[in-house]
Amino acid sequence: MMKKHTWLKFGTLIVTMLLGLVVFSATNVHADKKEPHYVITTDTTYAPFEFQAQNGQYVGIDMDMLRAIAKREHFTYKLVPIAFNSGAQGVLSGQFDAIIAGMTITPERQQVYDFGTPYYKTGIIAAASPKSGITSLNQLRGKTVALKTGTGSAQYALSIQKKYGFKVTYFNDSNTMYNAVALGNAAVAFEDDPVMKYAIKNGIKLKIITKPANAGQYGFAVKKGQNQELLAKFNAGYAAIKKDGTYDKIVAKYLGAKESTFAGSAKENNSLIGLLKQNKDQFIGGIIKTLQLTVFGIIFATIFGVLIGVLAVVPNKFAYGLSSTIIYIFRGLPLLVLAFFIYIGLPSLTGTKIPAIAAGLITLTLNEGAYIAAFVAGGLKSVDVGQMEAARSLGLPYRKAMLKVIMPQGIKLMIPSFVNQFIITLKDTSILSAIGIIELTQTGTVIISRNSQGFRVWFLVAMMYLIMITLLTFLAKWADKKFGNN
Amino acid sequence: MTAKVTVKDLHKAYGDNEVLKGINLEVQENEVVVMIGPSGSGKSTFLRTLNNLEAVTSGEILINGYNLVDKKTDINKVRENIGMVFQHFNLFPHLSVLENVILAPVELGKLSKEDAKTLGMQLLTQVGLADKADAKPTQLSGGQKQRVAIARALAMKPSIMLFDEPTSALDPEMVGDVLQVMRDLAEEGMTMIVVTHEMGFAKQVADRVVFFADGYIREQGTPEEVFNNPQDPRAQDFLNKVLNV
Repeated sequence: MMKKHTWLKFGTLIVTMLLGLVVFSATNVHADKKEPHYVITTDTTYAPFEFQAQNGQYVGIDMDMLRAIAKREHFTYKLVPIAFNSGAQGVLSGQFDAIIAGMTITPERQQVYDFGTPYYKTGIIAAASPKSGITSLNQLRGKTVALKTGTGSAQYALSIQKKYGFKVTYFNDSNTMYNAVALGNAAVAFEDDPVMKYAIKNGIKLKIITKPANAGQYGFAVKKGQNQELLAKFNAGYAAIKKDGTYDKIVAKYLGAKESTFAGSAKENNSLIGLLKQNKDQFIGGIIKTLQLTVFGIIFATIFGVLIGVLAVVPNKFAYGLSSTIIYIFRGLPLLVLAFFIYIGLPSLTGTKIPAIAAGLITLTLNEGAYIAAFVAGGLKSVDVGQMEAARSLGLPYRKAMLKVIMPQGIKLMIPSFVNQFIITLKDTSILSAIGIIELTQTGTVIISRNSQGFRVWFLVAMMYLIMITLLTFLAKWADKKFGNN
Repeated sequence: MTAKVTVKDLHKAYGDNEVLKGINLEVQENEVVVMIGPSGSGKSTFLRTLNNLEAVTSGEILINGYNLVDKKTDINKVRENIGMVFQHFNLFPHLSVLENVILAPVELGKLSKEDAKTLGMQLLTQVGLADKADAKPTQLSGGQKQRVAIARALAMKPSIMLFDEPTSALDPEMVGDVLQVMRDLAEEGMTMIVVTHEMGFAKQVADRVVFFADGYIREQGTPEEVFNNPQDPRAQDFLNKVLNV
């Protein structure tokens, strides 16, 4: 009778460990350094302000400017490239200290952010595919317009939506949005003037159909009332590099040259082999991240899932209630929502930052774990009750009967479900690209935003996933043979 | 002589449905008690309360001096002393025959693995299945499975054995071997409580026959008394049906 509480204790232990992981990783961010250290987010791709160079380094006007200012003002920073909308929210939730991402200063944003000195003039323009025959906004009635989530351009487009009568669709990065228009899936895209012009100059097949509207300026932003020291450093540094000509040199460097100067020429991207060679390091990095997430995700999810699954069959009403609630919640939540909640939602509640990789692992643990718990409970329940009775009648305590008699039989029934769940976990890691983890899918997005080789890059990425899944399936079959049949 | 088993005014209900309506029974050391009666009379439920597989509603159960109704009693300790044999054998399918037999003594730290194996082989020899030690339960016939189940229960060296319709799920030609093993056990002086429909076994082996009907013990006595001169009308009716087919 005493023994069933051991399971509860074990459960509490695991939950504590998970929480500990969060706290540990959070404190890890505040490493002791002489120079102040900040976490600054930027967009994944917003050429010429931020984009990945051939070597994987982030370059662009914003990036070079930030580097110059940090050096001059003696602070260090960790750069987190993530979809603009997530980054902007992350600053408000305290996940990031600041954002520099070609962010237009607007009165709405000024209510929640403090902006630094405006550093670049911009306006909003619309572009259509030359093949579409669209030359004016008046032709847009009933058509679909492509917008980027959370941007000033999107807001502007919505403000004129009634007047022109168009429908809207949203994208998380500029490149995917351009391609949607170029391929005819949307009629026009709205984007900031310098960014759109730069993309067209670099080979995106679009034609500008409007004059710049809603003129505005870009600014470096922190959460209102927070990180004022960083803001002051930025302003001081900006004034200095503006004065000594560094800023103008940076702007001239990017506007005067094609993107290929930094990101590699299109010629090298024409073959699959060329693409693989050129992006070898990035692909390997992406695969390693994906495998890390998968392997650790599976390990944590299995521990969590088996535990919660066992709680569902233990003869204790509290344990059963706890287990079914956990399964209900975490199986019911979409993985993406859970990831955003943990990565962006929780820090604004607790005030501590969670590294993306920890947030990703916790997400996988809870979500995949809930599925595992459900089939573990089902598997254990499907073992004949006579087995438990026979074991208990011999004097075995509940826990021993569970471990030695019920679980070996139940787990055998569960092996196909486990293999299935492992494959799902591997695929689900791709969703974590949304919180800025540069795993394989995000690697693909970033490479394409640089070279526009959508078909070839996604083909390569798809092949890599298939190879990983094949290997994982072989591994699972081998494990089944080795441990399952005995 | 003190009783091995003492049951006083035992009641057991599932919701409103009372299946045991006040059972009183004493079983002495070395005694073989056979419980008979129509299906649904409560005899199997009663047997299962004796090692707490069924919780009781009220009443008293003392086994080897342990009070089973008291929540503070360590039921695992009590069960170590009570072997149970089930109608459907309930062998552990993921373990070999010998592993089935030695699981409990090894896991409970009663014997080293080596000693347990020696004992296990002895018990398998006793039930005539030493050659099946490495087989899996699925490779055995029903009768063989039940004999393994008996060996498994004996491995904990219990002082009482409970049998819950041990031959009901067997093909007729398998019944004899199992009954023979039980007969041998009785001759060795094992205290046994047996629920069965095997009237021949009851006549031959039982020290006492207990007749159950409608949740009550209606009649009990030596096999001669119960079979030849039943007093209770329900017992007369039941015996008339099963003995004169």
